[in-house]
Amino acid sequence: MASKILHHDQVYIDGLLNNNSSIVESIYKKFAPKVTYYIKMNSGSSDEAQDVIQEVLITIYNQAKTKGLELTCPFDAYFFLLCKRKWLNELKKSSNKEVTIKDENVSIDKDVEKLAIETETEDEKQSLFDEMFQKLGEKCQEVLKLSFVTKTMEEVASKMNVTYAYVRKKKSICTGQLTELIQQSNRYQSLKY
Amino acid sequence: MQEELYIAFENYLNNEMALEEKITFDNKLHNDEAFKKQFELYKETTQFLEIKFSNDSVDFKKNLESISEEHFAVKPQKKESKVISIQSKWLAIAAMFVVFIGVWFINSGDNPSYSDYNQHENANFVERGSVIQDLKTAQEAFNNKNYGEAVPLFKKIVIENKTPEIEFYYGISLLEINKTHEAEVVFNSLKEGTSVYSQRAIWYLALAKLKLKEFKACKNYLSQISSDSEDYEKAQELLKDLD
Repeated sequence: MASKILHHDQVYIDGLLNNNSSIVESIYKKFAPKVTYYIKMNSGSSDEAQDVIQEVLITIYNQAKTKGLELTCPFDAYFFLLCKRKWLNELKKSSNKEVTIKDENVSIDKDVEKLAIETETEDEKQSLFDEMFQKLGEKCQEVLKLSFVTKTMEEVASKMNVTYAYVRKKKSICTGQLTELIQQSNRYQSLKY
Repeated sequence: MQEELYIAFENYLNNEMALEEKITFDNKLHNDEAFKKQFELYKETTQFLEIKFSNDSVDFKKNLESISEEHFAVKPQKKESKVISIQSKWLAIAAMFVVFIGVWFINSGDNPSYSDYNQHENANFVERGSVIQDLKTAQEAFNNKNYGEAVPLFKKIVIENKTPEIEFYYGISLLEINKTHEAEVVFNSLKEGTSVYSQRAIWYLALAKLKLKEFKACKNYLSQISSDSEDYEKAQELLKDLD
């Protein structure tokens, strides 16, 4: 079998990845109104729609950046499904909201669904990593942040007023600690790799 | 020792291992499943941190936020004008005719003035669950055109909580209470910035000059407003009037 055939909407993924403002704007212009309408029809507000759309675009960006993202279906369908599922999840979480789903009876394309689920799994992993990072000690968080923001480890050492060797060692140990926190979490066990 | 293990992972990823050590490491990766798993997670964690703190990601999120804010910004004036019944339409036309004649008499042969152009859009920064009481009060004062009340509040807020959006409304309020030079300072700093308000600040700098009756400087600013700015049409109109 030949390798996956890329959909021409891949331009949107590439545009996000390259932080191309005009493409990001066109995503908002073309695809956001449908999502906003759906969320408003289903117990949501315009502000909530704004948040969902923003979070989904960050999720797509992260996946494209981490694993690469090859779009094999129209962007519209993929993006809408992700937003919709995210919104339904939010509704489930805040059970004090009255939930009445007005859903169009459209069968979802298998390709779209598969890609959306992949993206969601990746997103869950990202949020687990994020959560565990917050659990690290303050010193570790600082060392790690500086190590990745600053160009060279020599600079990090001088910024922190410690030796290069110390910073290198600390960075390894802190990253190691983070992997331990991740491994020990319940969510990691349930995430399928 | 776990510590030594992590240091070895780090050295391997950074290609800083002696050849012999590297061969041993590679062998272990091939033969020891648990070791391999642990290394893969270390590698993945490093990648996660790299992306989390990369400048690209930070820039992307900032840009996304400003595009999102712009897309969802409410434009109240445009919405209202759509529903007019036939009867009130004729009334409106008659009223406009009267106003038109009035304005024509007042304006003929005269230079345009600031008051022809000082329709400001409403501020709405505190809808999204903000808890800053001062900001809420300032917003209400601004939207009710109580600029004198808004100015000291904004002044206090920008000391701790400076955002281009708040500065923008602070500038307008200053302009309205005739603290024109102070307003110019605010708009100049916005103009130099990269926020969505940098273009809008030029329009307000032009209005400040109009208010000071420095028509040449006013025209100079107006000509800097780019054609995709939302103030472009007003700017062109004012330019024509000034000629």
